[in-house]
Formats: sequence, C-alpha cells, structure tokens
Amino acid sequence: MNNAPIIRPDEQILVTGATGFIGARVVARLLEAGFRNVRCFTRRRGHRAAELELLARRHNARLDMFEGNLLSPQDCREAVSGAGVIYHLAAARGEKSIPDAFMNSVVTTRNLLDAAVAPRVAGNALRRFVHVSSFTVYAGARAANRVLDESSPLEARPELRGDAYSFAKIKQEALLSDYAQRHGLPLVIVRPGYVYGPGNEPIPGRVGLGTFGTFLHLGGSNALPLTYVDNCADGIVLAGLTPGIDGEAFNLVDDDLPSSRQFLSLYKRHVRRFRSIYLPHVVSYALCWMWEAYSSWSEGQLPPTFNRRMWQAYWGNRRYTNAKAKMRLEWRPRVSTTDALRRYFESCRQVQHA
Amino acid sequence: MLDVAIVGCGKIADAHASQIQRIAGCRLVAACDREPLMARQLCDRFSIPGCFSDLGDLLDEVHPDVVHITTPPASHFAIAKLCLEHGCHVYVEKPFTLCVEEADALIGLAERKGLRITAGHDDQFSHAARRMRALVQTGYLGGAPVHMESWYCYDLTDPAYAKALLGDARHWVRGLPGGLMQNVISHGIARIAEFLTTDAPRVIAYGFVSPLLKRLGEREIVDELRVIISEDERTTAYFTFSSQMRPSIHQFRIYGPRNGLVLDQDHETLLTLRGARFKSYGDKFIPPLAMARQHVANFVTNAKTFLNRDFQMKSGMKYLIESFYRSIVEDRPAPIPYREILLTAQIMDDIFRQLGTAGAETPANLHVPVAS
Repeated sequence: MNNAPIIRPDEQILVTGATGFIGARVVARLLEAGFRNVRCFTRRRGHRAAELELLARRHNARLDMFEGNLLSPQDCREAVSGAGVIYHLAAARGEKSIPDAFMNSVVTTRNLLDAAVAPRVAGNALRRFVHVSSFTVYAGARAANRVLDESSPLEARPELRGDAYSFAKIKQEALLSDYAQRHGLPLVIVRPGYVYGPGNEPIPGRVGLGTFGTFLHLGGSNALPLTYVDNCADGIVLAGLTPGIDGEAFNLVDDDLPSSRQFLSLYKRHVRRFRSIYLPHVVSYALCWMWEAYSSWSEGQLPPTFNRRMWQAYWGNRRYTNAKAKMRLEWRPRVSTTDALRRYFESCRQVQHA
Repeated sequence: MLDVAIVGCGKIADAHASQIQRIAGCRLVAACDREPLMARQLCDRFSIPGCFSDLGDLLDEVHPDVVHITTPPASHFAIAKLCLEHGCHVYVEKPFTLCVEEADALIGLAERKGLRITAGHDDQFSHAARRMRALVQTGYLGGAPVHMESWYCYDLTDPAYAKALLGDARHWVRGLPGGLMQNVISHGIARIAEFLTTDAPRVIAYGFVSPLLKRLGEREIVDELRVIISEDERTTAYFTFSSQMRPSIHQFRIYGPRNGLVLDQDHETLLTLRGARFKSYGDKFIPPLAMARQHVANFVTNAKTFLNRDFQMKSGMKYLIESFYRSIVEDRPAPIPYREILLTAQIMDDIFRQLGTAGAETPANLHVPVAS
C-alpha cells in the first residue's frame, strides 16, 4: 500500500468472526502487518484462538479474545468501544431457514452498527467499518458471459431465491447502506467470490451438487469465481486501511481461474475419484424452472430450493472483475491460483484420510 | 373471514405463515416480534400488512380473531393470557406452557371467555397419525390400550440446532425449567397422553447428559431420557428421548388386548399388528408377506397424497390449524381436548421434577414418586 493506513499500529482494530475460516487469516495478516492492538470478537474460542494468541505474542501485539454474542447489544457495545476500524466477518453460515440466517446475520449486524454509530456522536475513534459480503448479492445476469462489477445491480427479490444465506447477505448489505446514509458510517463493502483453502474443503456449490447421490456437475465451462483465503484476507485488510474509499464496494476474486470442468477434473485427480454426471446448462436451467414451478403449484410440497434466480446466481455463465480492487486497494492475489489449488487439494486429501 | 396474527417471527413462524396462507376463509393480517427486523422480514416475505414490535399495539389496532404464538416457550403464558384477555382465540406452539399450572390457568381463562385455545401438537395430525386415530376409534385394539411406546429422537449433530444451542451459553433453551427436553418432548408425550384415561398417571423418569455432549464440554443439557408412565396398573407407556441412538426415530406403538399399531412419523407409515397367530409354520411365512403388503399399501397411500399435493412437511400443522379455525367458526370443541393438553403438561412437569438438577447423572435421579 503506497498510502499510509488510516490508523496507527497501536490503535484498536475489532474483527468479528475472528476465529472463523477467513477471520483468523485477517487477524493474522493484521498482526503480521504490524498492528499491535486487535480485539477478536468470537462466539466461543475455537482451536484457532490459541494459534492467534501465539502469533500475537511473537509480534509483541495485544490480542483481546472477546467472547460474546452479537445478538447481545451489550456485548456489541463493549466490543466496539475504542475501535478505530471494524472488520465485520461474522455471519450465519449453514442455516437452512431464512429467519435463522436473518437473525444471525442481519440482526447481529444491526446490533453491531448501533453500537458503532452511537458513540460517534461523542467523537468516537471509528474511521472504517468493513463489511464482508459475498458475490451472492448480485442479481442474476441474463446475458451469457456477462462480467459483473461492483456497480452491477443487486438482487431485488432475495426471498425468491430460496436460499437463506443469499437472503441474509442481501438484507445485510441493504441495512449497512442505510446506516451509511443515515449515520455517516464510513462503510466499505468487500464481496469475495468463493473463498477456499485449508479449512474449507467442500467442493464449491458452483461446481455442482452431491445432494442426489451422484455428483451433478452443473458449472460446465463457467469460470469459477474463486479467491484463495490468504488472498481474500489481504483484500479485506486493505479495505480497512486504505484511505479515501469510504462508501465503496470491492469484488475480490483471483486471477487465472479454472473453469468448473477443469476444477472438477483436478479435484478428481488430486483428491479422490468419484462418479459425476454433467448436466448442460440448458438442462439444469430447465430442471430448476420445473422445480420452481412444481414448488409453487404444489404449495411448497417441495421447498423452492432450486429456481431460476438461484440458477442464474450460481450456475449461470457470469464472470466477475477484480479490476477495482487492484486499482483502488492495490490488491494483488499473493498466492497464484496454481499454488492455491495445490494447497487446497493437499488439505482436501488430508481431510479425506483423517 | 378470520383475521389471523402471528406473534414471534422466528423459524417456526415461517411454517405457520405458509400453512395459514393455504387455508381458505382466513387471512394473515399482522405479525409481531419484539425485534422489529424479525417482524419486518416475515411481513415482507409473506405480504402481511400489519408489522408490529409491540403486541399491545397489534391487539389494539388490528383486533385479530386468532393469534398464533410462536415465541420461545417462557413467554407463551403471558402472551396467550394477554391475547385471551383481548378476546382472541389462541394457538400456542409447543410446549404449551412451562408448567401445568400455567396451562390450567390459560384453559380456564379461555373457557370463561368463550374462546378456543390449542397447543401446537401438529404431529398428531399427520396423515398417518390420523389413520391411526381412526383405527383406534373403530376398536381395532380390542379395548383400552395395554401398553404404548413413544420414541422421539433429536439429532444433535444437526449443525443448525447444535451450533446455536451448544455454542451459546445463554441460549434460551437453557433457561427453561426442563432445558432442551422442555422444548422438544411434548410431541412424543402428547401421543401417550391422548390414550391415557386417568388424570394422574405415575411417572418414573431417568435422564443424563450423553457421552457425546460431555466430550463437547456440555454439562447442563440432558439429552437422553427414559420414562415409564403407568395408570392404575392397567395401561403403561415407555417414552424415550435420545439424541444419540440411530436411526433417529419418531415412532409410536400402541398395543391393545387384541391388536397393535405402529406409527412411523418419519416415513408416514402406519402398520397394523395382528394379535392372533397363525398355526405352525404359517406364523413364519404369512406375517412377513402381510407386512410387505402393508408397506406397499403405505407407499401407495403416500404416493397418492403426494400427487394430490397434500404431502407438505407440515401438512399436519395445516390440518390442525384448519380444525382449530373450524372449531371457532362452528362453535365446536377445539381439536385437541383440553384434558390432553393438561395431561401432557403434567407428565412433563413430573419428568422435569424428577430430573432435578439438569445434567446430574446420579442414581438419585431415579426416583419413584409417591402414588397419587
């Protein structure tokens, strides 16, 4: 980064979801970059907490493991106190119901925002609120091969996608934008692609689904919007430190991405062999349409899990640009996709054999 | 047209809203949650016009005919009481209340005000459960039940629930008098209560924290429970709750003096168990064939129901809600007898009383209550 960071090394930085898959890398990167006062908001100490504490000692930094619940306004108030930069990574993952995902992403974010903006009136130190979002917030691009950048429209009817995670992430961004407008929150949004690496071994859903026994390969020739976890952490950290980017959003996606077909082939070669069936886009789209129609006609006898909006978001042929992050954040994917895939497959093999 | 409101906009409220919208003669007019964002997300997704974060405001402004209470159990009593006092009929999600005294007070209030109230024991109204009830009513068992067995399992390895509960020392489930049990066993207990005839059965309960949960550092949540219920040395029942046994079943067996029935909630099947035996080797060959025929018949029934678009995961809830609304409109008794709701609450109270300090795994937990 050519410009000086917006905060001094001894100022406090708060990271929510700090012991999660991405959060722990963000904290590590901050410590390695010389920041010496990091507060980690975590629901409960996981195995990564001890590793981070060790790293902090090595860097002579103060690491405050704050165990709390973002559903508690009191916990949020205590956690944000004195923070110059807040990296908000905590979010619902794996919840299948929309209310659960909404509560653990949107209500929690509202609590954190209330805590973050309240003391600002009295001259609080907060200078940047970095929200980690997702590519799932973008509306489906109908045109094939469409390149989505940060100005592309967001999904306007998230409830029709039948995906609790997407719904929550879209509502979360809407809430944040509202707070930025109403309270002058110095907001920066980071939208990573599919974040992969050791610690997140499942095959990305954008490649296909194993739900029905045989793996259904749906991605075909689509470029997979992958971002290796270390590269992603770099981008997130830069979004919190770079001056002059308040109100901006940034896509984070690596370069030289494999297609879904290439990824699957490499996975089978390096991790494990299994049977898969390729469904051409026209077939998978038709099946999603039929599922959607049947779900509606049968009044929810099948949940609307698969539908055209979801197909557009996950399996439509769309690409994402990282040009803005490269230009404004001076971000570069530090780990090449070749190296990243090698590390990822190695980790997958270890998990398989564990 | 019945005007319906929902209080509490969490996960189960989605099921209520979906089913209510499938029922003719009613409309969802309002939803309320103490957390305004939760109320808003439900109202937006289900096009509910009235969005509230204060129940008093909702009752005063909307005057709904029926209120569905889908909040955490600790608030059921106070909310239901308020709604009844405002002249609303009330559908309370399970568990009905925290104790039998609260249940009794609510039912008494509803009766005094000429209103209907019901508990969300919707599992008892699934297709297979209704077929079972009809067979019992025709006398298939050959008399009063001799013995019943009810299994209600819960897979705590399900990440959504386990993560929320085990990872949160302040989760509301931990604050219930009966802990996790209070939130989940009422379906399984209600099945037994339906067929008991006395008001004060004996209850012997034993519970403990499973080894799996202990390994995860859990010391409070009792997730293994075994119960013996008996009345007048005539009808007995076993109830089993387990988070560990596999398969994780939801089953009910009822045996009479002549025949028995097996209800499998997971597979939506009902099997009849013939009491009479065949002669000699006939007993080795004919029953398996008869059982195979029954399984095929269950498959055909399920397939037909599916093709008729009436096989939703919560079709039992729809049936119960529909029956409840009909009881309001036609001024008939509520679909679940009040005696059954009270008996379920009383048995649960007995269980939790005997479990004592949740999590203690000592022989002292095995406690035979004084006969009533």
